[in-house]
Amino acid sequence: MDLPGPIHEILVLFLGFVLLLGGLGLVLLTNPIYSAFSLGLVLVCISLFYFLLNSYFVAVAQLLIYVGAINVLIIFAVMFVNGSEWSKDKNYWTIGDGFTSLVCITIVFSRMTTIPDTSWYGILWTTRSNQIVEQGLINNVQ
Amino acid sequence: MMFEHVLFLSVYLFSIGIYGLITSRNMVRALICLELILNLVTFSDLFDSRQLKGDIFAIFVIALAAAEAAIGLSILSSIHRNRKSTCINQSNFLNN
Repeated sequence: MDLPGPIHEILVLFLGFVLLLGGLGLVLLTNPIYSAFSLGLVLVCISLFYFLLNSYFVAVAQLLIYVGAINVLIIFAVMFVNGSEWSKDKNYWTIGDGFTSLVCITIVFSRMTTIPDTSWYGILWTTRSNQIVEQGLINNVQ
Repeated sequence: MMFEHVLFLSVYLFSIGIYGLITSRNMVRALICLELILNLVTFSDLFDSRQLKGDIFAIFVIALAAAEAAIGLSILSSIHRNRKSTCINQSNFLNN
């Protein structure tokens, strides 16, 4: 969308913050209904990101299919599974949990150090120039 | 700044999805994290390539994820009907 600059950045930051909280809530909450609803929140936020990226059809398709169908199906499945066994609090932190959390944190940090180093502007300018060439070819054909 | 910020987000949520997929004791949470991973892969791909191919790929993956979620949840419900519990720790199905 062609919003003014600061509104665009504020929306991106706000959606990013909500995505952070939703992701944490999805994994750390013990009740599976809560994690299913936080999945719905994450999917709605990603759909709003698609709106900001000018791909309107994918945004609406994501909203309809992911949130409207898949999330509802997941909530139905959670309701079918018997809810009385989730109240037992067997939520101790095993060695495997700690190991996978270490692996995931190293994945995040290694990506965070490589993402600013790669020159994204070269890749973006090549894709934009391809887009301009495609537009030129389409206009020439028509 | 905005571009790298969104890439950071997708990497972070991807690692959270993998963490939740590996260390979850009931199958529904594993399926939830699987859907999250699929969604994030399409999001980062559509964010990188701003052509029409990104949109078509995203629609493709959305349809694929819908079919896979339906099949996975039906398998989950049949497992629950047979065994009365959906703990992943008890998955020694081949051990008869």
